[in-house]
Amino acid sequence: MSTPTATAPAAAPTPLIPPSTHRWAEVIHRLEAGGSMLPDTPENLMQIIGIYKAYAVPMDFYWRDLLYIAERVFLNPLPAFKYFPSQEYLDRPNAYAGEQSQLRIWRGGEKAHPELLQFMATGETGAMPKLLHHLWHDRINMEFAEACMQAMLWHQGMGGRFNDYLASEAYRANADRAIKAYFKGNPAMLALYALFPEMFMEQVKQMSYYANLGLFWEVMAPVFFEMSDIYDEGGFKGVPDAMNFLVNGIFAVAGRPIYHHVYVGDECIEVIPKSEGFTWLYEAALPYVEAVFYRTAPFRGTKSYNAQAGQVPGDQADFHYGILYADVFPVGSAGIPPTLLMQDMLHFLPPYLKDLYKQHRRGEQDQLIQLGITFQRSMYNVTSAVIQALRCALLYPLDDTDPDHLLANRHFFEAQMDRFLRPEARLDAIQTQAYR
Amino acid sequence: MTTLPLVLLLALPLGAGLLLPLLGAASSALLVRNLAALVAAAQLLVGLVCWRLPPPPLHLAWVPKLGLELELGLDNLSLPLVLLTALLTIAAVLSAPADQPRPRLFFSLLLATNLGVVGAFLARNALLFVLAYELVLIPTTLLVAIWGGPRQAGAAIRFLLYGAVSGLSLLAAVLAFGWLNANGFSFNFDDLAQASLSPRSQGWILALLLLAFGLKLPIVPLHGWQPLTYSQAPIPVVMLLGGAVSKMGAYGLLRFGVGFLPEAWAAWSPWIAAAGAVTAVYGALNAIAQLEMRRLMAYSSLGHLGLLVLALAAATPMSLQGAVAQILAHGLIVALLFACVGLIERKTGTTAIPELSGLLNPLRGLPFTSGMLLLALMAAAGIPGLAGFPAELLVFEGSWTAFPRDTLICLLASSLTAVYAVRLFNRVGFGRLDNARADWQPTHWGERLPALALTVTVIAAGIWPQALVGWSEAATASLALRPSVMPSMLGAQPAAARSASAQSLPARSIAARIVPAQAAPALAVAALPPGRP
Repeated sequence: MSTPTATAPAAAPTPLIPPSTHRWAEVIHRLEAGGSMLPDTPENLMQIIGIYKAYAVPMDFYWRDLLYIAERVFLNPLPAFKYFPSQEYLDRPNAYAGEQSQLRIWRGGEKAHPELLQFMATGETGAMPKLLHHLWHDRINMEFAEACMQAMLWHQGMGGRFNDYLASEAYRANADRAIKAYFKGNPAMLALYALFPEMFMEQVKQMSYYANLGLFWEVMAPVFFEMSDIYDEGGFKGVPDAMNFLVNGIFAVAGRPIYHHVYVGDECIEVIPKSEGFTWLYEAALPYVEAVFYRTAPFRGTKSYNAQAGQVPGDQADFHYGILYADVFPVGSAGIPPTLLMQDMLHFLPPYLKDLYKQHRRGEQDQLIQLGITFQRSMYNVTSAVIQALRCALLYPLDDTDPDHLLANRHFFEAQMDRFLRPEARLDAIQTQAYR
Repeated sequence: MTTLPLVLLLALPLGAGLLLPLLGAASSALLVRNLAALVAAAQLLVGLVCWRLPPPPLHLAWVPKLGLELELGLDNLSLPLVLLTALLTIAAVLSAPADQPRPRLFFSLLLATNLGVVGAFLARNALLFVLAYELVLIPTTLLVAIWGGPRQAGAAIRFLLYGAVSGLSLLAAVLAFGWLNANGFSFNFDDLAQASLSPRSQGWILALLLLAFGLKLPIVPLHGWQPLTYSQAPIPVVMLLGGAVSKMGAYGLLRFGVGFLPEAWAAWSPWIAAAGAVTAVYGALNAIAQLEMRRLMAYSSLGHLGLLVLALAAATPMSLQGAVAQILAHGLIVALLFACVGLIERKTGTTAIPELSGLLNPLRGLPFTSGMLLLALMAAAGIPGLAGFPAELLVFEGSWTAFPRDTLICLLASSLTAVYAVRLFNRVGFGRLDNARADWQPTHWGERLPALALTVTVIAAGIWPQALVGWSEAATASLALRPSVMPSMLGAQPAAARSASAQSLPARSIAARIVPAQAAPALAVAALPPGRP
């Protein structure tokens, strides 16, 4: 009779590197496993996909109007109608969606989204002239898009070559050409330009950021629409799937040119030509995430920060007033809660999100806050995608077997998580569903 | 006109107070609450009828040997206080939660409190007044002891001790009044107004009255019970205590002190005015230092009672008119303040100022309730257009000629209201609304109703100040001990002022209809030499 032998338990794979001791070790380990900063729960998936859909509709307006302002309104000294993009821009085909696109990546159509067009026609109040919709604020709030653009302009040096180029002689020459062409036959403005050239140059730089952000969101809108469609088809199994879709999307369009063209009559003036080689990932996506998700500005909300009392960091790079830190409760007590965007998204919430909000807190009464928090969750997921994309671009695969490479990845993730050590960060809050 | 309304004013809370406990144990708290509110509303209605159709006084023998007679009546000093008490009782009853524990006993005791307070205001016999005054102590102590906060026992004991001393002092004063009166043994108000007492006796009796009513009002340094009781008692009880019960003290000082002991009152008035100024400053400074909303409101109430004491001490026609207006305005405002604080406490579970913030947040806060609280604090601060303004204006203007220094101190103390109101709102109204704590449900209209009704009344009284001052014009003018304007500047002014006051009585003045003769004794002593302190 043979002595029975105990079955040895299956040996767990030995980690190649020791566990992190970082404050956010749990999140770091999740990122190292290919996950997101946002925990993988069915409700989180539903929330972020639903809000992406609600975000994409106004975003479809933002990018069209931003490009309209950058290319057509340009230096109009009284741009009273800049939020009324021409039909040409409303019909402008998306460069990456629709049959006409040279590089079709996303399945969506080429025209403005039907829900957007419907809302522009009737708003919440019903059909009436566009001007009345505008004055009644029953419209898409372009002010939010402009605030994002201004954050990018104001913070400037966030990597990439775009901002440096705006100080180059080549850019100044192109801008000069555009200014003179735009004000041709207008001696008063040309005289002003002669007197204050830098003021006009600064305005053109701002227009270049309008174009930059418009081109960035032109890509993101169909991404979010498609994510919503895939979710509706039951395509995403979890939050990491959604994040990976974003990562793949980022790489698919990473090389998209960022440029600034100005149209004066039939003439197209290339203020920033495509040939300069500015690309979507480095000159638009990363600066946008840095400026809007992390930094923004301390003077946007209803709470006043006192720089003289040391409440505002001396270095702009230390600013932390973005959506990842924002307190969406008091409509502006910390950072820029995207109040206007929240209003915009409220018009386009999918039914399942409305049902979810009815079940919690004050139901319909405070769904504006609940969707703001959902938006915050979704932006943590987008930021996770950007972090993973950067890791892909700069470091090593997650399944690399070289401990040194994994340690390099670890240091990268820990450095990213260091930015959420400050108490204002909402990373801790989004780890539970109780945060609503 | 029959005396039935006078009987009804007492019979309604008495009957309901006795019948409510007999309801079945299965009766819902909501039903009991609504019945109690209905009774108080009926009482208010009867009071309004009395305003339009003044009833004659009621006089029934009770225990004649003791001088205890069932003498009831309404004049233009007591009628507004009866109406105030009825209104505040409705608000207090409706401020109780719909699931009030042990509702039959709770609302019975509230109605018993109402009975005592209204009885005191209706009494035309000093012993009857003492009985009613003492009656209030029992239900209020039980209400604090049974339904109070974590320190309910201590609060109830302290409240009972202070109340007992107050009651005993009052009893002693009233008995001395009756026994030492050279005109004969009587506790009838008219007889007391004409009582013949030596200055020494007057002084002793006034000292006892000041102790009794100073404890009830309260006045510093007799206020020891107030902050603890206000912080521990259930909100409906605090609304009645601050809004109505404490007014028995003010009414007593006016009726007994100014009305029945004018010479002693005039002699002691500089000290009384000083006590008022100290009370005003002490209350305001303590309110600024508080970190708990109930205690802040308690000290705020105390501070504003200091103004009332100043006005009574000055005893000019205008200051006394201001005193009555302040009694009414303070009653409304304090009740409103506590109604709002009660709502906040019910929704957030706390009144600790450091634990609250962002209450004005339109989406997740309690903006409606906080807005009413802000308005109540503005009214307390004397912002024009609200009830506190005409009252405080009359107090300051009327008291200035008699006690300029104390008036100035009270004026500064009153201005401190804005300081603690702003500090309070800066902390609890604005700022971050913590997600972890802010899972509150909004207040619904049923809960807001009492505070909303009081808010409307406070605004209405500010817009139409005659509602506050019109009642008492005749009676206060006849009780005045000093002229409103400096005699040295206008020598013949006192008599002229009284004459003008009398001529300016509104056509429907209750004073002119019910007790036109009652003011006569006081008018006699009103002709004090201008130079008297």
